[in-house]
Amino acid sequence: MISTLRERFNIPPRGEMRRWFFAMIDNRVRIITAGLSIKELRAIMRGDPPTEKPNPRYKVITTSFIMHLRPRYYQAASTRFTHTFRLGWFTMFFFIVETITGVILMAYYIPFPDNAYESILIIESNVFFGELMRDLHRLGAEAMVIFSWLHMFRTYFTGSYKGQRTFTWLTGVILLAFTAWLSFTGYLLTWDQLGYWAITVGTSITESGPVFGPGLNIIMRGAPDIGAGGLLRFYLQHVILFPLLAILLISVHYYKVAREHSISLPAPVEEGDMEKDEKKKHTRRIDLIPDLLTHELFLTALGILALLAILYFGWFDSPLETHANPQKTPLDTKAPWYFWWLQGMLKIDPAQIIETIMGTIGIQVELSQLLNSKFIMGLIVPPTLVFILLAIPYIDRNPSRLAKNRPFAIAWGIAWIFIMLALSYMGLPQYGIETPAATRIIQDLAPEEGLGPLREIPHEELVPGIYLLADYVAGEDLCPDLAYQPRASEGDDYTVYGCPHLSEVFAEFAERLLLAEESGELPFLHAYFLIEDFQPNVKRVVPTVNWTDPDTGQEQTYDVDFFLHEDGRREE
Amino acid sequence: MKRVQLEIVLGTVFALMSVGILTVMAFDEKNRLAEFEQSQRAELIEFGAAVYEINCTSCHGSHAQGVDFVAPCLRCEELFTTRLEDIGWDGGLEDYIISVVTTGRQISTRPAEFVGGGSPAMPTWSEKLGGPLRDDQINAVAAFIMNFEEWALNPDAIPTPIEEVAAVDDPVARGFTLYNQFGCGACHTISRLSAGIVGPALNGIATRAATRVDGLSAEDYLYESIVLPSEYVVEDFLDNLMPPNFVDLLSEDQLQDLIAFLMTFEEE
Repeated sequence: MISTLRERFNIPPRGEMRRWFFAMIDNRVRIITAGLSIKELRAIMRGDPPTEKPNPRYKVITTSFIMHLRPRYYQAASTRFTHTFRLGWFTMFFFIVETITGVILMAYYIPFPDNAYESILIIESNVFFGELMRDLHRLGAEAMVIFSWLHMFRTYFTGSYKGQRTFTWLTGVILLAFTAWLSFTGYLLTWDQLGYWAITVGTSITESGPVFGPGLNIIMRGAPDIGAGGLLRFYLQHVILFPLLAILLISVHYYKVAREHSISLPAPVEEGDMEKDEKKKHTRRIDLIPDLLTHELFLTALGILALLAILYFGWFDSPLETHANPQKTPLDTKAPWYFWWLQGMLKIDPAQIIETIMGTIGIQVELSQLLNSKFIMGLIVPPTLVFILLAIPYIDRNPSRLAKNRPFAIAWGIAWIFIMLALSYMGLPQYGIETPAATRIIQDLAPEEGLGPLREIPHEELVPGIYLLADYVAGEDLCPDLAYQPRASEGDDYTVYGCPHLSEVFAEFAERLLLAEESGELPFLHAYFLIEDFQPNVKRVVPTVNWTDPDTGQEQTYDVDFFLHEDGRREE
Repeated sequence: MKRVQLEIVLGTVFALMSVGILTVMAFDEKNRLAEFEQSQRAELIEFGAAVYEINCTSCHGSHAQGVDFVAPCLRCEELFTTRLEDIGWDGGLEDYIISVVTTGRQISTRPAEFVGGGSPAMPTWSEKLGGPLRDDQINAVAAFIMNFEEWALNPDAIPTPIEEVAAVDDPVARGFTLYNQFGCGACHTISRLSAGIVGPALNGIATRAATRVDGLSAEDYLYESIVLPSEYVVEDFLDNLMPPNFVDLLSEDQLQDLIAFLMTFEEE
C-alpha cells in the first residue's frame, strides 16, 4: 500500500527523503524568485559573490517581468548620493504611497457635494487609522511635489538632459505638470472652503481666454459654478485619468533610464581628465542584485519611517476648513503653495507696467483695454514657461555637461529659483491686497478659517464681560481674580492665576488698533471685546471696532461674532 | 560590515521602528477617534451658532429666548420635554428640529400665540426647497439648539445677558441692539438688515414718520406707534398684528434709544 503511494507521488526511498525534500523546496524557491536558489538568496543577504555560473542574478532580470523593468547595473559614480540625492527615486516612492493610501481613502470617500465633506469627517472620526491614511496621503502629495521639483533642478544643474536624455527630460517635465495637476485636483475633493475656492479661482483663469475661454471653464467646472458635476469631474481626473496617464508616462520615463541611457554619470567623471584607473573605479558596475535592491529596501524603510515619524510627532496635519460655501469667498483665498508663483504672477499687470515705463519717457499710452492681465499672466505666460521648460534641451545646444563650461545655464537656473521664490512671495494673500485696518486686525486675531490666537485661549480664561480698549493698560492682567487648573495638564495640578492668554491676545489687539489710530486709519477709535456665556459650554466672543471714516466722516463699526465651544479644537 | 549587510540591518531597524510607531498609534487610536468626534460635535455647534446668529435671531431672539407673539423660545423647557408629545412626533428632537427648519411651517401649531394667527409661521430654510441654507448648515443649527438642553431644564443657570449697550455710549447703536433683541426685523424690513414683510418697511421711516399724523413730530409718531400700535395703522397693513405690549417690555430710555436708531433712516 505505502509503496504504491510512494510510486504514485514519486516519493524517493527513506534514505533519500531529506535530500529530496530540500531539492523540492529549492525548486519552489527558484520558481518564485525567477531563478535564485536558497543558497544564492543567503549569499545576496550577506553581500557575497554569486554561488553559481552563469550569474543567476542576471537571469532574474531576463525572466521576471517586474525585474526586467529594472537595469542590470548602474555605474558606481552615477549612484553617488551627492549626485542624485535619490530625488527621482523618492518621487516614485511617494507616488506609490499616494496610490496605496488613495485606494484606501476611496473606499470611504463619496464624491458628491452633499456627502463629500461629511465623508472626510467620517474618515477622521470613525475609520480606524483613517486620519493616518488621510495625513499620509496629503503629506505624500506635498512631498511628491517637492521631490519632483528638486529632481528637475538636479537634472538641470548636472546637465543630465542632454544628448540621449532629451526625450526623458520632456517626459519628466510633463510628469511634473501631472504631479501638480494630480495634487490640484485632489484639493477640491475635501469640499471645504480651502479647496472649493482654490479651484474656483484656478479654473476662473481659463475664463479670460479668447473664444474657447468661457467654454473651457464650463468643461472644467461642469457648470458655471463648481457643483456636483464639477466635483465628479475632478474626482475622476484625480483617481482614474491622471494616475493612469502618470503610470504610462512614468513607465516611459523610467524605462529610458533603466534600459537606454542609465542615470547620468557626474559630469567630471564623464568629461573630465581622469586617470584610467580612477575612471575605471568610478565606472565599475554596481549590480541591481544585491546592491541597488538592498539600498532601495533601505530607502523604503527610511521613507516610511520618516512619514510616520512626522505624523507621530504632530509636525504635519492635513488641513480641513469649514464646509464649502459658494456664497462666501473667504478673506484670504490662497492657492496651494506650489501655485503661489502663479497667483503672484496674476498680481502683475503688464499694461500698467508698460504704461509706467512709457510714461517716464514722456509717452502717454492707454493699454488696459487692450491687454487683459488675467489673460496674459494666467493663460499666455504659464504655458509659455512650461513650453520653455520642455524646450530646454533643444535651446541649450552646449554639448558639455561640466558646470564650468555652461555658466549661463547655471546662472539662469539660479535666477529662475529666485524668480519663483519672489513670485511665490507675491502670491501670498498679504501681498498687494489692501484689507481695511479693522478687518485685518480681527482677521489676524481670529482668522475665518483655522485656529488663530483667539481660538487658542483656554476656555476657562474667557471670563464674561466687556473689555474696553479705553481701559487697556499694557502688561495688566484682565481678570486678576481668576484662578483655574488647565484641562490639558490632567495629572499634575498646577494653577493658572489670572488670564495670561486672554490678556496677551487683547494686548495685541489693543496695540495694533492704537497704532492704526495713530497712523490716521482709525480716527475716533472705540473698541472692545465682548465675552458672554452664549450656551452651556459655548462662549460668544465679539471683538468690535468703532471708528469714524476719515474720508466720509461716517461712523463705522466692524465686529465679528466668534462662538467657542469648550471641546472645540484649541490646537493642531 | 559590508554595505549590503549594513543596509539590511538598518532597514530592518527602521521597519521595526515604523511598526513600533504604528503600534503606539493603534493603542491610542480609539481615544483619538472619540476625541475627534467630540471636538467635531463642538465645532458643529460653533458653526450652528454662527448660522443661528445670521439667520434666526430676527425672529427667535438674539439668545434664542424667543420673541413674544413672533416666534417661540428655543432654550426653554417646553421644547425639550413636552413638545414632541404635543405634536405627535415619533422621532428624536434633533430630527424634529432639522425637519422644521428644512421645510418651514405654513401654519403655526399654536396659532393663538402668534401674530397673524401664526401664518406664515416659519419660512422654508432648505436650499432644496427654495430657502437659503445647505443641509450641513441646517444640521449645525439643530446641533446648536440641542446644546441648550442643560439650560432649558435648569433655567436658573442661564446668566443674565451682558448689556452690549453698556459699552456703547451711542443711543443709535443701543437702539440697533434693541431692534435685534426684540425681533423687530421679523416684521419690519430694513434693506440689508432684515427682510420682514408683515409690517411697513423702515427704510426712510424718519422722513415718512413726520408726515403720517398731523401735529405729531416724527419722534412722537414713532413713540406712539410702538407704544400704542393701533392708534394709527398705515394703509394696506392689518391692525392688531403689532404686539401691544412693548410699552411693558421696553423702559423709557430703551424706547428713546430705539427711536434714535429709527430716526437714522431718512429718505434717500
